[in-house]
Amino acid sequence: MAIEANVERAAPRKGRLRRGNAKVNLGLLSVPVLWLVVFFLIPVVLVGLYSVGVLTLISYDQYLSLQPWRDFLGSSIYLGSPLGRGLFWKSMKMSLGVSITCVFLAYPVAYMLALVAGRRKYTLLLIIIVPFLTSYLLRVLAWRVILNPQGVLQEGLRSAGLMNPDQTISWMYNSIFAVYLVLAYVWVPFVALPIFVSLESLDLHMLEASSDLGASRWTTFRRVTLPMSMPGVIAAFVFVFIPTIGEYVTPQIVGGKGGLMFGNVIQSSFAQSFDWQLGSAMSMFLIFVVAILLAIFGRYLNVRAVAE
Amino acid sequence: MGQFDAVLSNAASRRMFLKGVGVMGASGVLAACRKNVDSTAAPAASIVPIDQEPGKLHVHEWAGYDTKWLFKDYLDAGYEEPKFSFLINTEGALAKTAAGFEWDITHPESGYIQDYLNMGAIQPWDTSLISNFPALNPVLQQTGQIDGKQYEIALDWGYSGVILRTDKLDPAANSYSYLFDDAGAGHISWFDTPWIIQQAGLVLGIEPNQTFDMTADELEQCKQYCIEKGKNLYNIWVNYADMWDDVQKGNVWAAYAWPDAYVALKDKVPVEYIRPKEGTLAWVEGLVLRAGTQNYRHGHAFADAWAAASVGERLIGTWGYGHSNLDVDLSKIDPDVVAVFGLDDPEASLSEPQSYLDRFQPQRNAYNRAWQEVKASL
Repeated sequence: MAIEANVERAAPRKGRLRRGNAKVNLGLLSVPVLWLVVFFLIPVVLVGLYSVGVLTLISYDQYLSLQPWRDFLGSSIYLGSPLGRGLFWKSMKMSLGVSITCVFLAYPVAYMLALVAGRRKYTLLLIIIVPFLTSYLLRVLAWRVILNPQGVLQEGLRSAGLMNPDQTISWMYNSIFAVYLVLAYVWVPFVALPIFVSLESLDLHMLEASSDLGASRWTTFRRVTLPMSMPGVIAAFVFVFIPTIGEYVTPQIVGGKGGLMFGNVIQSSFAQSFDWQLGSAMSMFLIFVVAILLAIFGRYLNVRAVAE
Repeated sequence: MGQFDAVLSNAASRRMFLKGVGVMGASGVLAACRKNVDSTAAPAASIVPIDQEPGKLHVHEWAGYDTKWLFKDYLDAGYEEPKFSFLINTEGALAKTAAGFEWDITHPESGYIQDYLNMGAIQPWDTSLISNFPALNPVLQQTGQIDGKQYEIALDWGYSGVILRTDKLDPAANSYSYLFDDAGAGHISWFDTPWIIQQAGLVLGIEPNQTFDMTADELEQCKQYCIEKGKNLYNIWVNYADMWDDVQKGNVWAAYAWPDAYVALKDKVPVEYIRPKEGTLAWVEGLVLRAGTQNYRHGHAFADAWAAASVGERLIGTWGYGHSNLDVDLSKIDPDVVAVFGLDDPEASLSEPQSYLDRFQPQRNAYNRAWQEVKASL
């Protein structure tokens, strides 16, 4: 009885406490929410309104018209005819390939850091993220010096007698391969981080238990480590897949004619063609696709587990 | 995350939160819609004596055009050095102007004057205030006129021709076909411009003036031709210095190029600048004056300085671009440059059938979209 009374007295008065917390929480959230509204939500809405002619800027913009959407969706070049062969799908395939490659390359690095490196892991982690301290543009430009026909790599091959003086490897530069390589290089350190976090948070007793129960190291990895690190792997995949769909800087620098991606056409529509309405329609399409993908990935992604 | 959940799980705070977000979002959209205007026409300013004007010109210029020798006479006359802002392309400058960006003078291609006029952003010059105006090439000044008024003082010009490695390709063809022919497969470079589609039209036999205003069928034909010939490309250049580099190294044998490419490369590698037999597409640029500018007379003085023959001599020698002043002393210029670009008779060189000057294109959007599709198909 006394215990029950104590329990009753000790139980928090939830209603009053939660109302008080909610006001404080709203106050704390207001700045980041305001930031998101001003620098994300409003611009997206403006671009959407521009794509349908609710907003216009120049005299030959079409007021209240779906023509830009019709021109984009009806073009066999952007979405392909049959569906799946246009520039957008080329960009999606590129992003998918880069993301999978990054995850495969980054996982062993993250595994080594989290589970093998011991006390040196943070030092090694620092070394891995050092490239982030340099400009993204400089890192991409460095690959021009390496890959171009008169660059370090091909001149080296000529000097070593492995190539004729007049010979060039055309697929190595100004190509889809160059875009693929540079994007993978740029994003691998970034992909390693969420996987590292996920592996570091593993309960090592589970691994011990697996070993105690007779599982080999490979079996332990396959049936314990990998599944438990999957939220981090999926987060890493999403973190590189989403931004690379709209990538345009790397294709512009090393992609040449064959490495052009969907983001380049959007950038060109705004910066060179002055065709903001078509660019807006394409941008909104990309946003819709990314939102759908996030919704799909979100089912498999335990954000709270990764964040914690 | 838990705190966010706490907010949204409480009905009262959730309503307040969403109401606040909605108000902020709607305010932003309404604020943006308020600026949905077709005209940024400035109120007309009365013309006062020059010493009563503010005096600090704001010139929206191409990068590098802030160099003082281009307006030396203006500075020598004691006027305050202008403030410069820079444009990357005229499309960007138009967008900024439409959004309310203020300048006194800018430097567009003649094909965009109508766009500025449609915005109400420019006013005609008073050519009587420009002492060098009578010496300027009348063929070029015509490109700056609309309805008989001089909206642009046309000052610099150039060709959009072809730079050719003569040790790789035979220059005898003298045609835009170098940009498309299989003979140059893998070693051709286009500039990122819809003019490539026009040049394809010239190769296909479309009348040169018609290439500026093609029918939908003609545009589609040229687009498909470019897509077909895209397989011969080395790249599409954006930075001219990269293109010069590629031509010098032999990666590119034929490239869309302005005259500065020839000036930069002629002493380094065997090159020829092709002014094609189909007729050379040529661009003209000049200064336009903002409607309602407070620096009306200073603007005219600046344009007058730019129009001086001494500026032309240095412009041609430095960049290979032509200058509008017909009194330029050609003896101070490389004779090879004079001969290649026809500077000894600029009026004839810039007239049909040798050249076809840039002009307003009512279907610019269609051309741009066609060009985007060409690039996306490569």
